[in-house]
Amino acid sequence: MASSIAFAPQHPPIRILIGKVGLDGHDRGAKYVAHILRDAGYEVIYTGIRRAPEEIAEAAVQEDVSVVGLSFLSGAHIALFRRVIEQLRRRCAGQVVLVGGGTIPPDDVRTLKSMGVAEVFTPGTSARTIVDRIGQLLDNRQVA
Amino acid sequence: MNVDVEALIREAGTAGPGRIRAAARLMTIAEGGSGAAVNVLGKLAGAPEPRLVLGLTGSPGSGKSSLVDRLLQHCRAENPDSHIGVIAVDPSSPYSNGAFLGDRVRMMRHAGDPNIFIRSAATRGHIGGLAAGVFGMLKVMGLAGCDMVLIETVGVGQMEIEIESLADLVLIVLAPGQGDAMQFQKAGLMEAGDVFVVNKGDCAGAAEFHAQLMASLRLIDHDRKQRGPDAVRLVSAREDHGIAELLDYLERLRDTEAARWLARRRTRLGTHLRAAVLELAQRRLEAEWSGLAESDPVERVLRGETALADLAGELLRRAVLDNT
Repeated sequence: MASSIAFAPQHPPIRILIGKVGLDGHDRGAKYVAHILRDAGYEVIYTGIRRAPEEIAEAAVQEDVSVVGLSFLSGAHIALFRRVIEQLRRRCAGQVVLVGGGTIPPDDVRTLKSMGVAEVFTPGTSARTIVDRIGQLLDNRQVA
Repeated sequence: MNVDVEALIREAGTAGPGRIRAAARLMTIAEGGSGAAVNVLGKLAGAPEPRLVLGLTGSPGSGKSSLVDRLLQHCRAENPDSHIGVIAVDPSSPYSNGAFLGDRVRMMRHAGDPNIFIRSAATRGHIGGLAAGVFGMLKVMGLAGCDMVLIETVGVGQMEIEIESLADLVLIVLAPGQGDAMQFQKAGLMEAGDVFVVNKGDCAGAAEFHAQLMASLRLIDHDRKQRGPDAVRLVSAREDHGIAELLDYLERLRDTEAARWLARRRTRLGTHLRAAVLELAQRRLEAEWSGLAESDPVERVLRGETALADLAGELLRRAVLDNT
C-alpha cells in the first residue's frame, strides 16, 4: 500500500472545469460539485460566477480539461449551453465532455442531451451519482 | 495514448487557431511526468524563452491572484502587442489527489484576451511551492510566444522558496496582519524575495505593516539580494493603488539587472541539469530494482555479505550501465 502522499505519475488526475455562465449568481451547487469532484480525485478548475460563454470555452481550452460542467438557476440553460458548445467548436475543442446541473425541467434535459450535453444533474442528485456518472462518461470516451 | 508531439509543437509555435489548444495539450503531457513528458521537453530544446519570468509567492489569501490580475491589466494596457502567460499553482489533496484550482477566478476578466494564456496547475505531491510540471509549462509558454510569464506559487509558509529556481525576479506578497517585525527577521522566505509587495493597502494596519517591513530590511547592509528601499511596495490590488508604480519599478529593474538575471538563468540551468540527472538515475534505479526479484539485495545486507553503502554504489553502477 503506497503512502497517501505519494502520487502515482502513471495516472495523472483528470481535469474538470466547473463554472457558471449568465447572470445568476447562485453558486452553492457549483461549489458543492467542485468539492465532491476534488474529493473524488479530480483536478477542478473553478471559474466562478457570471462568465461569458467565450470565457468558459477559452478557459477550457487553456486548461486542457476533459469535462466542462455548468450550473444554472437562471432558466437560460439552453441558450447559454448552445453558445458554449459553439465557442468550444470554434476552438477545436468540441470533444470535451459536457455536463450540466441545476433547476432544469425534464423537457429541457432532453433538448440539452440532443444538443450534445452528456448528462444533466437536477436537484436532489446524490454526490455518489454525480461522481459515478462522470466516471462512466470518461470511461466511455476512452473506449470510443 | 498516441499523440503526435511534433505536430503539437509545430502548431503551438505558429499563429493558427489551434495554437492555444496545442500548447495546452503539450502542457498536459509535460505535467504528466512520464516518459512522454521527457520526450516533450527534449523536443523543446531551442524553443524561444520568455524574456521575463516573474514569480509571485506568499501566504494563502495575501492576494497573489488578485495582484496577478492587476499586473496583467496594466501590462496589457501599456503593451498591446505583448503576450503574457500565467502559471497558477494550487495544492493537490494528499488524501484524494484531487485539487480545487481557484486562482483563475480572480483573473477571469482576461479570459477573452487572446494574448493572455492562463494555466492552473496542481502540486501533485510536489513540495516547495511549485508543481513538478511547471518547468515544462514554462518551456511551452515560451514556445507559444509568451514574452513574459507570471508564476504564482501555492500559498506558502516560511520555507517554500523553490520559485527562486525558476523566476528571474521573486515578489513576496504580504498583507497586514501577518505578524510583526519578528516575522521579517526569519530565515527562508524573507531571504528569497527580490521585491516585497504589501498588498491590501486599503485595509487597516497596512501602513504600519509596510513601515515595519521597511525598517527591518533597512537594518541589513550586507543584503545578498542588494534590495533598495524601493523594493518594499505598498499596494492595493482591490483598489488598483500602487500597481502602475510597481510595474514601473519592475521595468526599471529589468533594465538595470538584465546582466545579473542572465547569470542567474545560467546558474539555474546547472541546478536543473543536476536535478534531471537525479531524476533519470532514480527512474533507472527503479527499473533495475524491479528486475532484481530473484536475488534480493536486502537479503545480502541482512546476511552480512555486503555493506549497505557498497551495495548502493554497485546498484547505481548497474542501473546506469545496464539501462543506457
